[in-house]
Amino acid sequence: MENNSNNNLVDNQVVRAWLMWGFFWSIFAPTVGILLSLKFSFPDFLSNEYFHFGRMRPVHVNGVIFGVFSTLFLGLSQYMVPKLTGVRMPKESLSRAAMWLWNITLIAGFAGVLLGYNKGLEVAEFPNPVPLGLLISLLMITYQVLLSIARRKEEKIYVALWYVIAALIWTDLNLVFGNLIIPYIMPGVSNAALHGLFLHYVVGLWITPGGLAVIYYFLSAASRTPIYSHKLSLIGFWSLAFFYPFVGIHHYLFAPTPYWTQTIAIVASMLLIIPVWAVVANFYGTLKGGKWDMYQSDFTVKLLIFGAAMYFIGSTQGSIEALRSVQVPTHFTDFVIAHSHSTVFGGYVVFVLAACYYVWPRVSGTGFDRGVAQVSSWAMIMGISSMFTVLVIQGLIQGTELAAGAEFVDSIVSMKTYWFIRTFTGITMDIGISLVAINLFFSKAARQGQ
Amino acid sequence: MKKAKTIALIAGFGFFLLAVFVQSLLPYFMKQYLTVRTDVTKTVRTPLGILGQVKSHAAPYSPLVEKGRQVFIREGCWYCHSQYTRPVAGEERRWGPLPEVGEYAYDLPHLLSTRRIGPDLFRVGGKYGDDWHAAHHFDPRMVVPDSIMPKFTWLFKKEGDRFVFNEDGKALLAYIQNLGMNKGKWRDDFPYQIAAEGSAPAYTTPASVAHGKEVYLRRCVGCHGEKGDGKGAAPTAVLFTVATPRDFTVGSFKFRTTPSGELPLDSDLYRTITVGIRGAAMPPWFNLPEEDRWDVIHYIKTFYPDFATRPPVQPIYIPPPPDPTPEMIRQGKETFEELKCWECHGHEGRGDGPKSDTQVDDFGNKIPPADFTKGIFKSGPRPQDVYRTFMTGLNGTPMPSNSDAVQYKNLDPWPVAYYVLSLSADKP
Repeated sequence: MENNSNNNLVDNQVVRAWLMWGFFWSIFAPTVGILLSLKFSFPDFLSNEYFHFGRMRPVHVNGVIFGVFSTLFLGLSQYMVPKLTGVRMPKESLSRAAMWLWNITLIAGFAGVLLGYNKGLEVAEFPNPVPLGLLISLLMITYQVLLSIARRKEEKIYVALWYVIAALIWTDLNLVFGNLIIPYIMPGVSNAALHGLFLHYVVGLWITPGGLAVIYYFLSAASRTPIYSHKLSLIGFWSLAFFYPFVGIHHYLFAPTPYWTQTIAIVASMLLIIPVWAVVANFYGTLKGGKWDMYQSDFTVKLLIFGAAMYFIGSTQGSIEALRSVQVPTHFTDFVIAHSHSTVFGGYVVFVLAACYYVWPRVSGTGFDRGVAQVSSWAMIMGISSMFTVLVIQGLIQGTELAAGAEFVDSIVSMKTYWFIRTFTGITMDIGISLVAINLFFSKAARQGQ
Repeated sequence: MKKAKTIALIAGFGFFLLAVFVQSLLPYFMKQYLTVRTDVTKTVRTPLGILGQVKSHAAPYSPLVEKGRQVFIREGCWYCHSQYTRPVAGEERRWGPLPEVGEYAYDLPHLLSTRRIGPDLFRVGGKYGDDWHAAHHFDPRMVVPDSIMPKFTWLFKKEGDRFVFNEDGKALLAYIQNLGMNKGKWRDDFPYQIAAEGSAPAYTTPASVAHGKEVYLRRCVGCHGEKGDGKGAAPTAVLFTVATPRDFTVGSFKFRTTPSGELPLDSDLYRTITVGIRGAAMPPWFNLPEEDRWDVIHYIKTFYPDFATRPPVQPIYIPPPPDPTPEMIRQGKETFEELKCWECHGHEGRGDGPKSDTQVDDFGNKIPPADFTKGIFKSGPRPQDVYRTFMTGLNGTPMPSNSDAVQYKNLDPWPVAYYVLSLSADKP
């Protein structure tokens, strides 16, 4: 599949531009996260009208989802899709326009929420018409990708492309749904039901398929091995596509929404174990037959495999977390925050960063410093592992304390030590991520021989 | 797979729209969840002065409350404060009755939220007084030293030497005080807040006083001050408009079962701490462990040495309340007129009697007589609470004890207690 002589399929410049923006966001958004976590220990830190917790939080969450992950993923798609279809993107100037539109929209959105223009729906906070920028940009990319696939040279569509197609279509629909429909129709608990769906479509139908497309393509490319099992790929894709759309209401269990919709969401959440375990087995199987040593030698493989482990842990936790009995003590606590960090950062952001180690040298002709890459990888691995552990523990402590009838502020007091430690795990993560960006971006060294 | 269309149509469009249909459109069109549904079971006060439940409808937001809701959204309050209590983990005990579908009828966008870094706010309306909210938003750590909430100082303006809410702040306050109020006077009927008797107090020991001091420094010091003189940081920074915090060093306590002018019993202080003082800045502390509540009483008593030397006096006896009748309400009205309660409280109980403007308390502050029609009863919402205040008066205020009148004129206090409560009866 990988053919270096065929490199003229890819518009290197446009991929570089997307990834550079991605590098910028991957330094920016996690740093905002650290500033936010400091506010738990030092409530008056940076606490003024524009930078207090309530205004900064959406910058972090949207920054990681639409900044770090999405910008890098869209950049990587500009590399993957031509390679997989064997044709250049139909209209390359569109990709460039989409790149500027996407990133300027993000800046406008962040400025908007900091200035107090917040729509009041989590992950759909940007004031209208700002999200139209994201939508139009994504539609441009969708158009490019679908047209490339229609003109493809190879008859079979590789598994990564299944996910890219699905992710783009789902998210085109979802951005319309979340930003242009939900804020204006069906008030009350029905609005919460819709929003729960939207919220989980963002992670389940954008980040998940996007991230899985990246690991399917780059694990195979970096290890120069075909994917272990086509059947597992099929099971993983179709079970994800069918179960994931139904899980959103698990965000509002025990709310006065219909009981049976909550039950459907729980059942679907548990069934998500099937795609998660199927694809993870598929990834680990791919390295069978003498490729495991690449975990030591190749940073793309190292991070993809670690990311797959975090994805496995975080997603399985997420399924279990949807059960009513588990939600009783854990919902509303940091246990859920552990899930969101282990999956979104530990899984998907690590996937796209791993792919950058593969793509950036190929599109820019430079290499990177292996020592720095080693430090950065271990900083990310240790940072997210310890953050996950701390957040799970403190979530369980606070949840059981409250269920046992503790006064609310008392339960906050017992969280304070953990929140303080959490900041350091975040700083470790942030160092790791920033070093990936800095290492790749500033490296003048020539690309290493293949 | 060979067909991109299969993926795009079945996975991309098909499953997405199927899920939206099953998970939100279908339930939306089911009768019991229709958004147009606004009905809610409401707790009301009847013309007999007791509480009852009626089927009612949620009220749309007033312009001020809607503006406050916009401030709540703008400042991202909802990232840390959820707006639904669950039927699990004791949340009904902690925060109040469960939400009903109809109560959300006017919420667009919804604000259910997914995280509780702070407590749930669905039923917070009326739990804290306006003065407490002012102090708490100006600097949360003044009143809750362990709080990690940001200061919202830009919702304030300076008036004289203190801060008061500005327009945005007032709107936010109106929104917060409106939260959960479609349920009506549920708080008057909330067993965890009004059942205030507790177990018998332990004797004062050095350990209990020391523990009480810890509790005091974490919960009380912001208003009542380190010296217990009611000059904490909160009333110094923010203008308290309803009532200033109690000065414990004077030994004058309003809410007692003991005769006029006497010190309260421990159980009286325990009741006030547990149920709070509705409308004033004193919150209810029913979520606090009983031991904390008793021990802080031991510490508070050290601010006024007479507590240690004067033996407790005999409290008045409050018999079990009888069932009210229309005849009793009429009789209560007669007593109300006869004892000249109307001179301060007004003939309709609006607190606008001829002498209402001139009343001052023992500290020289102007003190308006209670407006009974508002249904906010500082000493408690039960008939026995009104009975108690009627019989023992409120020390330090112009409200006298009527126990002599009851004795000499052979009056029954129950009719007047029910009459006072009936003044806040909800309109049908």
